[in-house]
Amino acid sequence: MSIFSKNRAIVPALILLSVSLLGTFVLSAQETTLDPASSLKIDLPPDAPLSLISTTMGDSRATSRGGAIVLDLHMGLTLRNSGAKHIRGVTLLITAQEFAPGGKGSVARPSIDVPPGENFTLPVDIRLVRPVRETAGPLVRVQLDGVLFDDLTFFGPNKLNSQRALTFWEVEAQRDRAYFKQALQARGQSGLQQDILASISKQADRTQLDVSLSRNGRATGSAVPTTDHMAQFAFLNLPGAPVQPLEGWAAISGNEARSPQIEVVNNSGKPVRYVEIGWLVKDKQGHEYVAGSVPASESTMLLPSGQRTRLQQDTALKFSRAGRPIEIDGMTAYVSQVEFADGHVWVPSRHDLDSSPLLRVTAPSPEEQRLADIYAKKGLAALVTELNRY
Amino acid sequence: MGTMNHPRENDLALLAGGEAGRGSRFFLERHVRSCADCQHKVAEYRQLRSHLREHDIPDANWHFLEADMRANIRLGLEAGACVRTTQITPRWNLRLTVGFAGLAALIVAGFFVLDIGPLRDRFNGSLFNGSSQDASTTVLRSTGSEVEIRSGDRSLMLLNHKGSTAANQTVSARGDIGTRYVDGEAGTVTINNVYLQ
Repeated sequence: MSIFSKNRAIVPALILLSVSLLGTFVLSAQETTLDPASSLKIDLPPDAPLSLISTTMGDSRATSRGGAIVLDLHMGLTLRNSGAKHIRGVTLLITAQEFAPGGKGSVARPSIDVPPGENFTLPVDIRLVRPVRETAGPLVRVQLDGVLFDDLTFFGPNKLNSQRALTFWEVEAQRDRAYFKQALQARGQSGLQQDILASISKQADRTQLDVSLSRNGRATGSAVPTTDHMAQFAFLNLPGAPVQPLEGWAAISGNEARSPQIEVVNNSGKPVRYVEIGWLVKDKQGHEYVAGSVPASESTMLLPSGQRTRLQQDTALKFSRAGRPIEIDGMTAYVSQVEFADGHVWVPSRHDLDSSPLLRVTAPSPEEQRLADIYAKKGLAALVTELNRY
Repeated sequence: MGTMNHPRENDLALLAGGEAGRGSRFFLERHVRSCADCQHKVAEYRQLRSHLREHDIPDANWHFLEADMRANIRLGLEAGACVRTTQITPRWNLRLTVGFAGLAALIVAGFFVLDIGPLRDRFNGSLFNGSSQDASTTVLRSTGSEVEIRSGDRSLMLLNHKGSTAANQTVSARGDIGTRYVDGEAGTVTINNVYLQ
């Protein structure tokens, strides 16, 4: 005799449980395929040098879970260069409807060379979690923030300071393309191969930290219960830097660094309107990591030649790695970007970046990252072809 | 000093009569060799058996007694079957079972119906990042494969495209975090950023 025939009470109980579970799954995890027209709005200015050709939504879906809705958007936006110049970079502004604190995102595509009339596709992968409410209109809005051309002119509303970011990326790209082209010309394909392998090795050796960032001082709680102390930055002075850091410090508490401030002087003969300081941290074991950057606090800064100013940010950064807090034991900083009042920008040279072993942990430029990827996936011949393209 | 555990009396009796199993005999003999008390008891049982053998078995009709005993056993079994009129009480109480089933369904439903994101993050935050962020604080986070801005139960996350490689992270103390990756298909670089306003 089976247990079911002996114990008739079990059967209805199991049926009840199964029906409950099935109902729960059905009611709580309803999935719907998103309608692009209702969930997404893409705004391109009528006079933009870009036109939207098509939008694919892939396996985008909305899942409701009790009081929350989870939107998974996996889009591909195919855009056409409808202007007259080559496009070197594009930034799209992403905003989510009713995102209370006003958070926003962006998707940028630097290091491209799109001739007039040519199409390119930009992937946009977004996950949005928000309370379920009846709201009218699209859930996510995509707007053009800026387009950079090959002559470094710019088009767009520039709400995210995309012009500056795209310009710095383009100048870094020109520097790195020139470096690898020079290696090819001076030492042939084996010389280029040697340098690109060194770049790949450097990228592989980099260890990145997981970072959380918040404003208005310190986040509550800390896994490393130490009291705050002011830690001073050590500085790496790059020989060609137009701006020199003088002194700086940040409040350190375990794995948290907050309110960094750095005093700099303009040693160049031209007024400067933007400075950014690269920030490295060292843990108790002596490992160096890139923490981030400390940019100028004022968007309208103008620093005349020979004058000093203080870069100051009221944010708190917490660092962890593989789920474990990284206790900060030391900090180093160096000038990583300068923009002059006339719009010209300065970035460290390849020689500067090779001048200190500390800078080995810095991230490669987007262009160097792309060129290394071409070599890794397609080989040396493809890299040479790419370098000879422009 | 620990106290010695002695074998049961009937095991010692079986050993004395040579009727213990092979395995238990090994252990019993090993104990008896080192235990004077048990040696004494086994000796007593053996002595008793030898005394019993000296007496004659009483004269009786053993075949009749065997048949009589078998008949009594059968009669007892049949009588027992006749008087069992009540059903066996179920080992599972219906009310209790339904109650537990409902409770289980409620717990599972709660798990799925509630938005567990904040709980997950609180767990991750306290355990791994060493913080328990205030729910009202807007926080940017980066894990290399995604960047996220979260405030309470709202979150906007930009994900690296599927199949992408070589993600590099950028953090600005001004209040933005980015990740840049090479698209596996196109070989172009895409940079996702989230910003605090």
